[in-house]
Amino acid sequence: MRSVLLASLRHHTRRYVASAIAVVIGVGFVVATGMLTGATREGLTADTGAPTAGLETMVSITDSRQADRLMAGAADRGVPAVTLGYAMEPVSKDGIQLTRSADVAEVSTRPALQWQDLESGRFPTADDEALADTNAAKSTGVAVGDVLRIGRGDDGRDVTVVGMVDSPVGLGNDLYVPWSTLRTFQDSLWVDAVAWGGSPSLAADLVPDSTTRAADDWVAERQAEISRGVDIIAVMALLFVAIAFFVAVLVIANTFSILFAQRLREFALLRCVGVTRRQLRRSVRLEALALGVAASVVGVVGGALGGVALVAVVRHWFDDMGAPALDPRWVGGAFAVGVLVTVAAAWLPTRSATKVAPLAALRPDTGPDVRSTAGRIRLALAVLALAAGSGALFLSIAAEVVPLMLVGGMVTFVGVLLLGPWLIPALVRLAGRLVGDGPVRRLAAGNAVRNPRRTATTAASLLVGVTLTTAVLTGLASSRSALDDEMDADHPLDATLSATEGPLDAGLAERIAAADGVADTLALDGTIATIAGDAIPVAAVERTLGVVRGTDDLSPADGTVLLPYDESEHVRKDGTVVVTVDGTRHELRAEVGGGFGQAALVSPATLAGLTSDPRPVAVWARAVPGTDAADLDGDLAALAGSSATLEGGYADRQWVDLQVDVMTGAVVGLLGISVVIALIGIGNTLGLSVLERSRENALLRAMGLTRQQLRRAMATEGLLLSVVATVVGTAIGLVFAWVGVQVLLGPLLDDAAVTVPVAQLAGVIGVAAVAGLAACVLPARRAARITPAAGLALD
Amino acid sequence: MTQTTQNTRVHTAASARDLTKTYGRGDSLVHALRGVDVDLPAGRFTAIMGPSGSGKSTLMHCLAGLDGATSGSVTVAGRDLAGLDDTALTLFRRDHIGFVFQAFNLLPMLTAGQNILLPLELSGRAVDRVRYDQVVGVLGLADRLGHLPSQLSGGQQQRVAIARALVTQPDIVFADEPTGNLDSEASAEVLGHLRRSVRELGMTVVMVTHELDAAAYADDVVVIHDGAITAHLSDPGQDELVAALRGGRA
Repeated sequence: MRSVLLASLRHHTRRYVASAIAVVIGVGFVVATGMLTGATREGLTADTGAPTAGLETMVSITDSRQADRLMAGAADRGVPAVTLGYAMEPVSKDGIQLTRSADVAEVSTRPALQWQDLESGRFPTADDEALADTNAAKSTGVAVGDVLRIGRGDDGRDVTVVGMVDSPVGLGNDLYVPWSTLRTFQDSLWVDAVAWGGSPSLAADLVPDSTTRAADDWVAERQAEISRGVDIIAVMALLFVAIAFFVAVLVIANTFSILFAQRLREFALLRCVGVTRRQLRRSVRLEALALGVAASVVGVVGGALGGVALVAVVRHWFDDMGAPALDPRWVGGAFAVGVLVTVAAAWLPTRSATKVAPLAALRPDTGPDVRSTAGRIRLALAVLALAAGSGALFLSIAAEVVPLMLVGGMVTFVGVLLLGPWLIPALVRLAGRLVGDGPVRRLAAGNAVRNPRRTATTAASLLVGVTLTTAVLTGLASSRSALDDEMDADHPLDATLSATEGPLDAGLAERIAAADGVADTLALDGTIATIAGDAIPVAAVERTLGVVRGTDDLSPADGTVLLPYDESEHVRKDGTVVVTVDGTRHELRAEVGGGFGQAALVSPATLAGLTSDPRPVAVWARAVPGTDAADLDGDLAALAGSSATLEGGYADRQWVDLQVDVMTGAVVGLLGISVVIALIGIGNTLGLSVLERSRENALLRAMGLTRQQLRRAMATEGLLLSVVATVVGTAIGLVFAWVGVQVLLGPLLDDAAVTVPVAQLAGVIGVAAVAGLAACVLPARRAARITPAAGLALD
Repeated sequence: MTQTTQNTRVHTAASARDLTKTYGRGDSLVHALRGVDVDLPAGRFTAIMGPSGSGKSTLMHCLAGLDGATSGSVTVAGRDLAGLDDTALTLFRRDHIGFVFQAFNLLPMLTAGQNILLPLELSGRAVDRVRYDQVVGVLGLADRLGHLPSQLSGGQQQRVAIARALVTQPDIVFADEPTGNLDSEASAEVLGHLRRSVRELGMTVVMVTHELDAAAYADDVVVIHDGAITAHLSDPGQDELVAALRGGRA
């Protein structure tokens, strides 16, 4: 039997290529993911221990005031200590804001505690000296010798940059200043741990509710935390691998059942010469095992090479990536899954193929039996699954339960797959009728539905990818429009410039309107008032159309002042606030809101009561869609100088957009792997059918079917298959997306609506159709190349 | 138009000159045909006979434009096939040649009627109803047109194949072992139909066979052995035929 097995493997190698590719892609993907995960983990955790600065104890605290007490106590007793944490403050240079929010952390003035990795310059020795991070400095252009102002208005501190450092990732601070300076930013400072050179009891004396533990333990815990984060990403990636493998199972199972159908006579002949059914089954399964092992080995090697290349590419932008290394657990897992998937996919086809009676070999040449019947049990199961699945989906909408939705979706999809042998051929026939009449098209449509189960499995492999892609694209588009609505409410203005001390320059609004990326501007007149001693511009809002996003036009009623959140503490219990203009006190009803910058807003009538000489105090701007947020910020900050504070929601909006874009890209890219495998499957099915139909094709060619007509018939066949699968997939995907939006967004939003990304979905259908066509190119060429005489002679 | 073609038609429906066909190369070079010269007369039923591997099927494939010759020329219906590319050859076959094969003659997903009309459909020609009914009537298929090939007996399937070959009014019909898979009764019926299509419909039929009984239905017999023609007999008697075949075996 071994000689038969080996000969068979040699003989049929080419026909197994597609199955092998499906496994290779899956296994390679897992191995590459493993390497990328390992390298990321190594990179992220390598410097976790750096901020402990060689001290042996970590003191965990709950707020920055406790940190202040610890640091004061340490300074008194000469105990080495350094804080872990940061303040978020705006930074400006020469009166021009460089960034709205920089992460500012501590650098110790004691050389032993200076854990930062100095690249140039020196460490600070005085309170007004700072280190800057080289990566952060790339965009702001900060260099050694620059004087920076950290913080807003009167609370700001000037520091001189004396050195540049390369911050470890995960501690990506932009600036480092000595504690005595950092502690002044109490409002935005967040410190949760202090590396402590003194005794634990001293720490406990200074801050009674602090906890101390060994620095090593603290580092280990941090690393575990980071690892978990990396693992979550790896698990997400593996989810898509699982989908890809599921598609691979469909492709492989289909390949095996086609190949076995073609080899039925061969099997029968073996049975005739005395091979038992069990021997035959074993031999065929060993063939599958050999294929699985070979493909998995290639996959591991390919994945390892791909992983090395990928890590190298990522390192190009992200230098905190560790070295690529093969983790035996990942390699072993990938290999095992590859082999298992191949053998499992071959299991069922093997059973039915080896049931062949020995006499089948002796029957006259009937050709492989291409007809397969789909049983009633299958139909019943399909209906049951559809009913149960859609029931679960409806329940999940009512109860807003996510796991129920996932189960319902999976069961429904299984129902659709089971229904495939009825559904897909019917739709292919319908589609065939739609493309018109003529011998070529009729031939294509007839061939496409010749074997319903084979057609259904081929379509199913593509269906999986298209359904998920559609569902995800639609889901993300719906989330995006929901997020957009929320962003409109939270960040009604893209950019606000609010006067700081005196009225703004009269020409500022025009200069801003002329800046790159500014679509529309609104200049607001008002006056500089004081509320509880703080100077604050009060601006009149009249017509905000075109500048303000969302539904709220930010115009307060007469006698009411709309205050930024920062001023809310000055609102009195009765809901009024005292606004002083030129020494005159005015009592106004107060409302508090956000997203409109540092100016208080009133109606024009109210302003008229406050001042008789309105001057420009604020400018609002709306960005041209697609403008780079950092560029816009830089331009506006340069125009504003120190006369106005720059705020606005454009950067946040762009960041949210970017996240959705990245997510969309990642998901589509990962699902693309499944689609690629499915397309290989379509090409494979067609290619094998060509072998099966070579006599038939030869007959047609003898009777006058031209090569081009034959090629066209095969292209039409592939196109019919891929288009039907894509359209069905899009339809199911839209239903799933609708359910998903109801269940996932329903609890968060009042009316969760589905936004259909028409262009993207049209793109999916187009890509699938073109790819389906491309998948036929090779089989069609091969079919057309055979001369009629050669085709007729083939057995 | 058809009439004039028939009147002016040369009395040779197909001919080969110094036709050579080889397969493989080097050590595995096989000479399937070695310089064959043959003229197949129009309006006659010619049988090409020879043992397995004698080259009779290759000769037919070359004459019918299903396969290219290695050297030499083939003329069918006054047209030299040598200069034609694949598409031209296909279109030529479509319009001038009919085929009946040993097995797998019919497309399994088409009914008998659809199979018969397939060549016309492929060439986009209008169906000549009179001709169709005549052919279907002669072959006794009128009540079988709606059946799929799998619902027909072997003899019926071959009759459908003959009808398909005749319906286009080709210049020549090639039949490759048309009775190879049939029992003697069905064979006799099919051969009778082929002969009637020559006698009654004025067709030219060239049949490849290795059965003496089948050859007996033919007007002329071409005997081929080892890729060369050893005899070309006109209305041979049984003894003459046996002698020619035996001579070939020498």
